[in-house]
Parts: sequence; C-alpha cells; structure tokens
Amino acid sequence: MAPTAKRPRRKLVARPVTFSPFARSAAHIASAYMIKRQMIENKLHEFCQLTPNGECKCNDKRNIDETESDSDGESSEGVVQADFAFFDPKPDDFHGVKTLLQTFLDNKEWNLSGFVDLILEQTTVGTVAKLEDDDDDGLFSVVTALNLGRYKDHKCMKELEDYVLSVCHESNLVDQLRVLFSKKARDVGLLVSQRVVNLPAQLLPPLYDALFDEVSWAVEDEPTEQLRNSFRFKTYLIVTKIYMHKKANGKLGEKADSEEEPVIYVKAEDELFHELKNYVSMGLVMAVEADKIPTFRKQLRSLIDDEP
Amino acid sequence: MATRLQFENNCEVGVFSKLTNAYCLVAIGGSESFYSIFETELADVIPVVKTSIGGTRIIGRLCAGNKNGLLVPHTTTDQELQHLRNSLPDSVVVQRIEERLSALGNCIACNDHVALAHTDLDRETEELIADVLGVEVFRQTIAGNILVGSYCALTNRGGLVHPHTSIEDLDELSTLLQVPLVAGTVNRGSEVIAAGMTVNDWTAFCGSDTTATELSVIESVFKLREAQPSAIVDKMRKSLIDSYV
Repeated sequence: MAPTAKRPRRKLVARPVTFSPFARSAAHIASAYMIKRQMIENKLHEFCQLTPNGECKCNDKRNIDETESDSDGESSEGVVQADFAFFDPKPDDFHGVKTLLQTFLDNKEWNLSGFVDLILEQTTVGTVAKLEDDDDDGLFSVVTALNLGRYKDHKCMKELEDYVLSVCHESNLVDQLRVLFSKKARDVGLLVSQRVVNLPAQLLPPLYDALFDEVSWAVEDEPTEQLRNSFRFKTYLIVTKIYMHKKANGKLGEKADSEEEPVIYVKAEDELFHELKNYVSMGLVMAVEADKIPTFRKQLRSLIDDEP
Repeated sequence: MATRLQFENNCEVGVFSKLTNAYCLVAIGGSESFYSIFETELADVIPVVKTSIGGTRIIGRLCAGNKNGLLVPHTTTDQELQHLRNSLPDSVVVQRIEERLSALGNCIACNDHVALAHTDLDRETEELIADVLGVEVFRQTIAGNILVGSYCALTNRGGLVHPHTSIEDLDELSTLLQVPLVAGTVNRGSEVIAAGMTVNDWTAFCGSDTTATELSVIESVFKLREAQPSAIVDKMRKSLIDSYV
C-alpha cells in the first residue's frame, strides 16, 4: 500500500489505486458516475447543510484540469461526480462497516462482529458516509465514539483492551493506558474512524463535525442521566496506523535523508491529533483531551481548504 | 451438526476449505484453532489434509471433488499434486485438468451422483468430470448466475442455493439433482453460499457471522441433525433409484 497522506499537494483526482476487493468495488461505483471530461481549471465546490432530521449532506463536485483531450472520449482521467451523504448507522450496514474495520487490530483474531454490532446499535452518536442515491448501499466511511466504560463488559472491548496493552512498547506509558481503560474508562471515548483509501479529503471536516456535534447533542438529548454522562468524554482514545521511518529518531536532522519525514500518517487528521499534545503514541494509539477538539476542527478545516 | 468458525478473522470458510464424504482439504497458514475444529469433528472418520493449490490458500474455490475424485486446476504445482495423491485415500482419483476456467470450485457444484457445471466449460472438461467424479453433468445456471459452484452448496441429502432463485428454478434444479433444495443465505445475508460454508453428508462448517436462523435452515435442508457418518445411505441409493427422470 502506497503511503498517501503527505500533507501538501495531494491531487484531487479520485484515482483509486487500491488493492482490496472492497475498494475495487468502491472504485467501480465511483467510476460509474463519470459523466464527461471538461477543460476547466481546478474548481473546488463544497456545500454542507444540515437537514431537519440531523443528517449532514455534503455535495462534492469537482472539475479536474485536463491537459489533453482524447477525441476517442475514453481515458483513465476524467471527471468523477459523486454526491456523498451521511447517515446514522443501521443494522444493514454491518458488512460495509466490518470490511472497513477488518484491520483495526492488525491481524489479531477477535470478536470484530460484536464490535461492529456495538457501533451499529449506537445510533445517536456515529455516522456512516454513503453515496446519496446508491442502491448498492456501498459504505465509504464510518466514524463513531464508543464510551469505554459503558461497553466495558463486552468481549470485543476486553479483547481490544488486551491487545492495545500488549502491543505497547513503552513501559511507562502502559500504566497510563491501563488507567484509561479501568479507572477513567467512564470518561474515555474510543474514536473509531475508518474510510476507503483516497476518499476525497473534502469530506473530512463535515464528517468530524458531524461526529463531535452528535456527541454534544447526545450530552443534552439522551433520555437517561446515565447515558447523558456517558457522552461527556474527557479523553478520546484513537487506534490508528502510521508509517514510521526506519531510522526515525524523533527529529528531522540535516543529513541526506532529512527530506523524508520521520512519520507518515495514513490519515491526515492523525497528524493534527498527534500535535495536540497529551498523547500516548504506539502504533499509533493516541489519547486526546476532549477540550482540544475545537482546535482540531478548526485546524482540519484549514488543512483541507488550503490544499490546492 | 453445523459448526461456526473463522479463518483468520474471515468468515468465508468455503474459500479456505473443501469438505467431501471421503476427505477434507484445508488451507495452510491459518491459526491452529481452525484446524482443530475440523479435526475434532472429522479426525476419526476422514483424513484432514493441509494443502495449497498453485501456491494460494483459496483451495475451496479452485478445486472440485467428491468421494470418488478430486479435480484440480492447471495452476497446481507438481509437488502439490503429489502431496494430494499421497495424502488422500487410494479410492480418490486426483486429476489435474487443463481448463481455461481455472477456478473449478466456482464453476462446478457436485455431490457423489450429479454435478452442475458452468455453461462455458469445455467439452473435454465435462467428460473428465463425468469420468473422474463418477457423476452425471448438467450445464445450468442458478438465479441467472453462471458460477454455479459459488452460489450452490450441494450434498447427497440436500442443497442450498442463491436466495434469489425463483420457485420454478428451484423445482427444475431439484428434479435434476434429485435432492431437496432451499434458497437461503449464509454469513448474515451473504449470497455466495459456497464461499461462506462447506458441507458433507453429516457435518457442515459455516462462517461465524451465520445467524441462528441461517444455521437452522442449513441443518434442516442438509439433514444434519440426525446424521451419522455412514456410507450406508450412499451405497443403498444406487439400488433404490433406478434411473433419473
């Protein structure tokens, strides 16, 4: 898999070079929307509206700059128009979410199906991104926040906790993590965010906005006091993947290989989370304080909007 | 009895294993719990053979077989072929066939008496199937799908087919195959039946996502609840049924 999350200058062409069967079918769906190629310069257009029932609709239309035009009409570069819409998780989304979370805990055999069921049951907080009028119901992204204390007794959460604690290489941090899982569990939310490779970055700010807005709404709207408190997260726990330079010593030296960054983030927003301090990094597991979230949202927005 | 299991977090057990009445093939590289589940069920009755085909682990979809024989594609290496010949009982003929459609498990659905074949299979291949497996071959589609091996799981006692198969198709296939058929799903709604499960006359292995409803359908159509590993039913069948209509 090619590392794709270098921050600047990422092309907007949704050219899905992917290798998993799910991503291939997602690419197939995307290319089915190819309409026509146009010779206009890059234009980025994005609307984000909140519909009355709380769904966040994001219209994503892009025209790609063409340097040559084929008179034959068919080529690999072209305009891909796609309308994405966000929905609450439904039981039907089981297979899509499961496919996205297949490598959540690397290769460990664990109760992934149970974990997916937990995500789908929590309809108040959690969002899936699909194509707007898609009959095939292809799922492109899932984000959710699960309270560690509330789901503590489920087998999948125990397996997750055991795995995360076992792969931690830094012994001084293991204890902090253990505390997060046990004593502070009621205030910790597991932030799960997965998407298909090369999903347009323009979707990220609204996606994360949707999640954190739902968390704050849940704090007010949930029927019982217990549930309301379960969404008052003080910390978010994030389990994700990064590429660490083999010779990484944590700083950019001035030697020949200093052009390579020590850490490449598969998902762009992880870099922002990483910089917001108070993290435990391991493969990468980060605990982010909840009050840093508004800073994150602002930075994410500027990060995405700054991209050419 | 039907058992639920996973291969490396993947519920498509019919891809990584092949179960017949005389032997069971499993893919290499899985965890020990995968083999142990097979061995617990089958060890005293039939051999459980670990193998690869063409260096891949998707052996369930690449080969087709029954108690009489096993057909492997041309991508099978000589070592793998030799290993299979050594490990399987002598009554089982292992034959490598030259066929353009090399995923034989997707193209052929068979039990010990009858086989459904992909409509585009070569004539020579069809004859080889009839010879090696000792079956009568019918070129058919299932719910409009030509990959009959993928969308149908078949034993001597029953069959499970793609959920969108119409009643007329079900009747027609049932008459051809001489077994009761049911349209259903496996692995929580997956339509690719044969990839999600593997079955023989007395036991079935399904992906762990299979719901209790699906499992009960499987146990009833394949008559697994009262089943015993016995060759009596098979051997008596020839004398009970003179000819196919």
